[in-house]
This record gives sequence, structure tokens and C-alpha cells, in this order.
Amino acid sequence: MAEPIIRFSKASFGFPHRIALDEITLEIMEGEFIGIIGPNGSGKTTLLRALLGLIPPISGQVRIFDCACEKLRCRHRARIGYLPQKELVDENFPLTVFEAVLMGRFSSIGLFRRPSRADHEIARRAIEEAGLSDCLDMPLGHLSGGQQQRVFIARALAQQPQVLLLDEPTTGIDLPTQRTLLELIKKLHETLHLTVLLVTHDINMIVPFVNRLALLKTQLYAAGPPKEVLTKEILSQVYGKEVMVTEKGFVIVGDYHHA
Amino acid sequence: MLEMMAYGFMQRALLASVLIGILCSAIGVFVVLKGLSFIGAGTAHAAFAGVALAFLLNLNPMGMAVMFGLMTVWITGLLVEKGRMKLDVSIGIFYTSTMAMAILFIGFMKAYNAELYGYLFGSILSVTPFDLAVIAGLGLAVLAAVFLFYKELQFIAFDQEMAEASGIPARNLFFLLISLIALTIVVSLKAVGAVLVYAMILIPAATAYQLTRSMKGMMIISILFGVLSSVSGMFLSFAMDIPSGAAIVLLATAFFFLAVLFSPKRRTSQLPVRTQKS
Repeated sequence: MAEPIIRFSKASFGFPHRIALDEITLEIMEGEFIGIIGPNGSGKTTLLRALLGLIPPISGQVRIFDCACEKLRCRHRARIGYLPQKELVDENFPLTVFEAVLMGRFSSIGLFRRPSRADHEIARRAIEEAGLSDCLDMPLGHLSGGQQQRVFIARALAQQPQVLLLDEPTTGIDLPTQRTLLELIKKLHETLHLTVLLVTHDINMIVPFVNRLALLKTQLYAAGPPKEVLTKEILSQVYGKEVMVTEKGFVIVGDYHHA
Repeated sequence: MLEMMAYGFMQRALLASVLIGILCSAIGVFVVLKGLSFIGAGTAHAAFAGVALAFLLNLNPMGMAVMFGLMTVWITGLLVEKGRMKLDVSIGIFYTSTMAMAILFIGFMKAYNAELYGYLFGSILSVTPFDLAVIAGLGLAVLAAVFLFYKELQFIAFDQEMAEASGIPARNLFFLLISLIALTIVVSLKAVGAVLVYAMILIPAATAYQLTRSMKGMMIISILFGVLSSVSGMFLSFAMDIPSGAAIVLLATAFFFLAVLFSPKRRTSQLPVRTQKS
């Protein structure tokens, strides 16, 4: 870990009458794996979209690669891999795994130019890294939810990003597959030295994988190692329900356990 | 067939049908994949209102059709983008109001105008050298834009939000796409007619959708069916003395149902579901 790659300085997002994120101050170091947690509507997705420059701040600043996010040029955007919250792709949609992953190269290639042999090779390597070599020519819609998420991770990797933003990548996937997917993300984080921001509801699932957690509910309530953030006091404040934290650090909120 | 081709109007009709077949079916791929089907119908009626106004005021019909078509798709695009209303509601309003305008303009005319009704129902056999030049000029410009921005249009047809997030100017390209749809409709108006032009955009692409599992395959098959329908429809129209627009669209529809019947996707969906390892 070295320099901060992302800096939120008292950054607020939304509309003056409906603030989605209020005065967020947070620095994220290069090579860090950070989990963004919080209840529904707490601004987790807004935080990622702000980093992509899709939502400008109404006050304060947010910078990535030392550049204001809302002024990001195409070549900077290409350095951010993004996996949005997704529904399953229609079974009949005519798109192969290779075609979907190659799309990750398009912004780097630029307008008016066709993908070269090198771009094809990068896409193939990304598919391999995501563990999908056998599915290269398969229709995307024929894959399971977990496999489709791997394809989208491969597409993000094909951008050759420095930062990977993942918005609820494990939603709608069975528990063993969720774990496999998170292990893949962790492996990619380590081998490719990526800075990873992962938004999730699933506190207990994410804890073993991250360096730090950021707990949001419009404001940033806490940011730090899981042990410091996942305390009964802080979680009760944010979730507004009875919270139990077991000796092994397992979080149970109200009658619903986050596992 | 060779005898037919001795006539100048048949040579023009053949060239027009090949160009329109390629154009409509190529742009149709993005229309079908992006779910913009209704925008074609609305734009066709708006373009016809432009033609009707041009005849009323003695202006250039193609110019007015381009203006009305582009205004419709741009306003629709802006309304949808601002989140003011859904695409189907917005285009539904334009669809009906521009048709009402067309009826109004026709009502103001003192006499029956056969040429105007040609734009409504289409007549590929009556394409003049000037019409052909316009079809070729505008058509090649649209195809050039599709060729130049093919990979980006492919991306926004699949996932516009992702395309935007990865640094592609997706908003501008979406407006380019809907402008290309409008121009395609205007180019095809004289030959296929406002009522049926939309079918030429939708049906070959929908046919291809049934038969392939890749985007590249869909583009190739769509163009093949588009050209096949328009050329064979044109010959059928001449040989049987039936309206050309109807012949082209009904042939395209027949190909569509054959594709549905023999679709490999249909056969796959009848197989038992295979559990896949993630």
C-alpha cells in the first residue's frame, strides 16, 4: 500500500433537498481492498457512481488518480473496472462470452478503430483469469448467475484497470458460489495489485476478504479494519435495530443475520 | 427476370431494394437489441407528417421528413433521459399527435394527391433517379456511421450504463443511434411507405435474433434476410401487380415465422434445464 488513489473530501451527492451522501471524507490507498456496507438506501451505489464521474458532487470534492472524478477523461475512466448491480442476461440475447468481454477493451481502443489481435489476446487472458476458458464461445444468457458475474469481472479486467468497483456482485447467487466469487476477486486483487471497492449487504461474508470496511448511512459512520467498525454501538446506530456481534465477530442485525 | 431488368424503373427499384434491405436490417439489429421497436413506428408517422406539410406548402418532402423524424427522436430521447416519462409513453404521444398533424395537413389540401399517398403505402417501382440518389446518399451515410461506430453501438445496445461507465460517450452515441433510425426511416419512406417501413427495420433483425447466438451473426443474418425480402418482394410486386411495400413486408414476415419454427433457440428451450457449475 502506498499513496491514496481515491480521496473524498467533504463530498456530498444528490439534490439539495434530498442528500444521498453527506460530507464524506475518506481516503483509499492504492492496492487496498475495501468493503462498503450499510442498510438499503444508505448511498453505497452512489459512492461508486461518483467515482465513475457519473454523479458530480454538489459540494466538496472527489478525486481519483489525482483528478476530479466528474472531469475524468476517457483514458482515466478506462482504468476503472466497474461491475454494476445486474439482473440475469436474457437467455436468448445474442452475445457470446468472448464478445461480452471484448467490450471491456472498447474505451481503450478509442473511436473509429477496430479491436486488434492484441485486444483479442487481452480479452482471452481476462476470461482465463476469471476461470471461464471453457465458455469462450458460449452464449452469455446460457450461463448461471455466478458464471455471468465472472464474465462481467472478466470484462472489467479486460480494461486492464487499476481500480475495480463491484456493486453487490454476490446478490442472487447461492452461498457456495458467493464464496468462490469472492475468493476469485481476492485472488485478482492480490495478483493484479488492484484497488478494490466492493459494495455489499453481506457483512459476514465480506469480512475475511477486506483490509477495511466503510460503513455508510448517508454519512460515513465508520471506516477502518472490520474489528473496529463492526461493534455493537456503531452498528446499532446505523441499522437502528438490536445488533449482536458474536465472539467470532459474526454480526446479527435484529431477527436477520447478515450471512 | 432478365426481361424485367431491361426497364429503367426496374433497375432503379432493384438498387433501391438492395440499399433499403441492407440499411433497415443493419439498423434494425440495434433497434431490436436495445428495445427501441416503438421508436421506429412513431418516427415513421412523424416523417409522414413532414411529407404532408411539404406537399401542402410546396416544399421538399424529404427535407421535411428528415426534420420531423429527427425532431421526434431527439425530443423523445431528451424526455426519456431527463426521466420525465417512459419511452413508450413519450413515443406514443408523438406517434398519435404527428399522425393527427398529417391528417390535418391532408385535410387542408384542396385535391387528392396520389404522390403523397405513395409515401404512406410505398411504391418501390416508382422510385425516380432523384429518389434513388437520395436513398443512396443518405443510406450510405447511415451505413458509414454504423460501420465507424459499430463496436460502440454494439456496447450501448447491450448495456448503455456500463458503456458510459467505461468511458465511452454513450449518451452522444445513443442520440446518434436514434438519429440514424430516423434517417433510415426517411430514406425508406418512398419505397416502403410510412405504414410499413417500421416492419422492414424490425422483422429481418427479429428473424436473425431467432437464428443466432452472437451479435456478429445477428448482423450478418439480418442483412441477408433484409435484402432477400426486399429484392424478392420487389420482383413479386412487378410479376403479380401487387403493392410493393406489402409484398416486401409479408415476405419478411413469412421468413420470420419460418425462423421461429426452425430456431435452434426454440429447440434448446425445449431441452431439460442443465444445472451449471459456477
